[in-house]
Amino acid sequence: MSAFIGGKNLGLTIVLGVVAVLIALPFIGDNYLVRLATFLCLFSALALGWNFIGGYAGYPSFATAAFYGLGAYVGALLQNAGTPMPLAWLGAGLGCAIFAAALGPTLLRLKGHYFAVGSIAIVEIMRLLASIFADFTGGGMGLNVPILRGGPDFAGMVFLYAMLAVAAAAFLTTLAVDRGRLGFGLRCIQQNEDAANMLGVDVNAYKTAAFVLSAIFCGLAGAIYASWVAYIDPTDVFSILLTLKVPVMVLLGGAGGAYGPLVGVVAFMAMEELIWSNFLELHHGVLGVIIVILVFFLPGGLLKLRWPQILGRFRAGGDAKSEAKAAAE
Amino acid sequence: MQAVPIGLKRIAMSLGAALLAIGMGAESHAETVRIGAPLALSGALASSGTKQALAYEVWLEKVKAAGGIKVGDKMYDVELITYDYQTDGKKAAQLAEKLIVDDKVDFLTAPFGSGHTKITAGVAERYNVPIIAVASSEPVHDQGYTNLFGTLAPSGGLIDVMIAEFQKAIPGVKRVAVLGREDVFPNLMAKLMADKAPAAGLEVVYAGTYPIDAIDHSSSLAAIKAGAPDWIYVTGYSQDLILVRKQMADIGLEAPIVTMITGPVYREFIDALGPLAEGVTSATWWHWGTDYQSTDVFGSTKAFYDAIVAKTGGAEPDYVHASSAAALVALQMAIESAGSIDRDKVRAALRSMDAVTFYGPIKFRSDGMNSARAYPLIQIQGGAPVIVFPEAVKQADIKAFAGK
Repeated sequence: MSAFIGGKNLGLTIVLGVVAVLIALPFIGDNYLVRLATFLCLFSALALGWNFIGGYAGYPSFATAAFYGLGAYVGALLQNAGTPMPLAWLGAGLGCAIFAAALGPTLLRLKGHYFAVGSIAIVEIMRLLASIFADFTGGGMGLNVPILRGGPDFAGMVFLYAMLAVAAAAFLTTLAVDRGRLGFGLRCIQQNEDAANMLGVDVNAYKTAAFVLSAIFCGLAGAIYASWVAYIDPTDVFSILLTLKVPVMVLLGGAGGAYGPLVGVVAFMAMEELIWSNFLELHHGVLGVIIVILVFFLPGGLLKLRWPQILGRFRAGGDAKSEAKAAAE
Repeated sequence: MQAVPIGLKRIAMSLGAALLAIGMGAESHAETVRIGAPLALSGALASSGTKQALAYEVWLEKVKAAGGIKVGDKMYDVELITYDYQTDGKKAAQLAEKLIVDDKVDFLTAPFGSGHTKITAGVAERYNVPIIAVASSEPVHDQGYTNLFGTLAPSGGLIDVMIAEFQKAIPGVKRVAVLGREDVFPNLMAKLMADKAPAAGLEVVYAGTYPIDAIDHSSSLAAIKAGAPDWIYVTGYSQDLILVRKQMADIGLEAPIVTMITGPVYREFIDALGPLAEGVTSATWWHWGTDYQSTDVFGSTKAFYDAIVAKTGGAEPDYVHASSAAALVALQMAIESAGSIDRDKVRAALRSMDAVTFYGPIKFRSDGMNSARAYPLIQIQGGAPVIVFPEAVKQADIKAFAGK
């Protein structure tokens, strides 16, 4: 176990290193790299957001795209109404928080599969609402958002930094939750909600708090995305694929910690990029294959693998002693 | 099934492009026109995306055979760099940026699908790269972008032609039911019909939409049946329309006119429906039965038709093929008339273009859309689409759908 604690300090060092590279990226990399980095931050924010409710509280939420899409629409509508861009983003985050706080107490009474189905229904309902209220949202025609002038380099930098800020805020919040009372309570709920309730954890308040935290970061990311692409439509932002991808990313890395979601996002995106560029016809099956592999071989995610043992096996002629020692750890 | 070799070819092509870029550096770049195209080769719009890719290949072969594109007094080689964006908006934007930044393309074409056209046009606008859309309806051109051009003509004209001709051919048409898909172009076509019908003395007995992933239309169709329309007008993509037509048959819903936008234009619509497709009418931007003579690489509508039939081994081209090839033809003409691959000069040439191509006239309006022109009306008769309007290229008269 000691290696694992050492790993956490190592983890923080790596995260800080990556953040430094991301900050420097607009000056050293081309705009395509900047865009990939922006996606990395976008999905990190979504994954860390999902982790509050899905990882800590153990509620299988598929509402990510509902918050993301709501954030995109609120942000876009605020911007179209003349609100300065950063304020529109904050407004979108706030709007999503209020929405989640209103929805949470009822939706979070559902458990397990029922909650999963209920949360995915929220995405569909939001998408239909966005389609139906065409006078307000543009409906299926989509919604234009004023494009940020100042050239591609400037835009790339602005949106990368904005997404990075959201991802960083989500990460710092996760660290605070992880070490604080809320994280403890959520973990209790995950293990046995009834027992937690009996022991005096206000389960409804805790779950709703996790849901709201989850919503804020997804909403912020959605609003920034809307300004970035300058055009959104209901199918693009209330996307079922997005809502499935994010939990898969977190589970791939390891749910219920600050580092697992980040590892998962990086691993998933690397895999996607690799498979997309090499096997054009296969990428549709990839998400399914990852889910199967997760269930059968990686129930705890990449971070919970016994890396010393695995590395020991790879070592050519690795002596049984070191392997046994690794296994003992 | 055809997609596998195309896919491999594409990978090989982009690999080749990358190697070329690395190996030869800036010198070869100066002698080559590089055109980038994100394409929907997989995902929901794959059937149209594949047609776009095919039309591009045919155009490229013609241009290569002619020795390239004439820029001033030099012949430039053409390099077409394409990627599959999987019908995913995020990926479309990502690839548009990759094409501009990594592959250093001079110009872009937009993918099929209005929403994705808007997304890629946003990227192109930031970089000031001219981008030609192959299937963009009016709302795509409403953001004031100066780099976006579209070869498709305005959709509103399609509605006017249909209302006028159908009323003439089948007297007593009074009640129309409109069902549209909640998506940029189909939604627009449904809305335009519902808006324009009353002015022509038609009563709209039903006007509704269905969501993008709808797998059942029975409740809408039951409501339409209750309205007893003389004209059933449905918009959507082929899969939606096939399902609607089948469910119409299930509940015995018929009317003297059944119009589907733009189902009958596509071969797969007729193949999937068989006898059920009979009598369905549609309007389209282009049909291979039209006859334009031009000075572009194809030379005439007939030559384009022959090239596509030869390439596909027998499949007839539809407006997607034609509009896609026309996008590259327009770009080529603009480059040739500008005598340069400088983006500003080519953009200006596109703006002032007034040409007749194999596809028909191309003259971009101030918002970048191609101007209106004569739209063909078609009807499935005897298992094949025939042109019923305009008179000049007409193959048969309009027949009533039901009560035969």
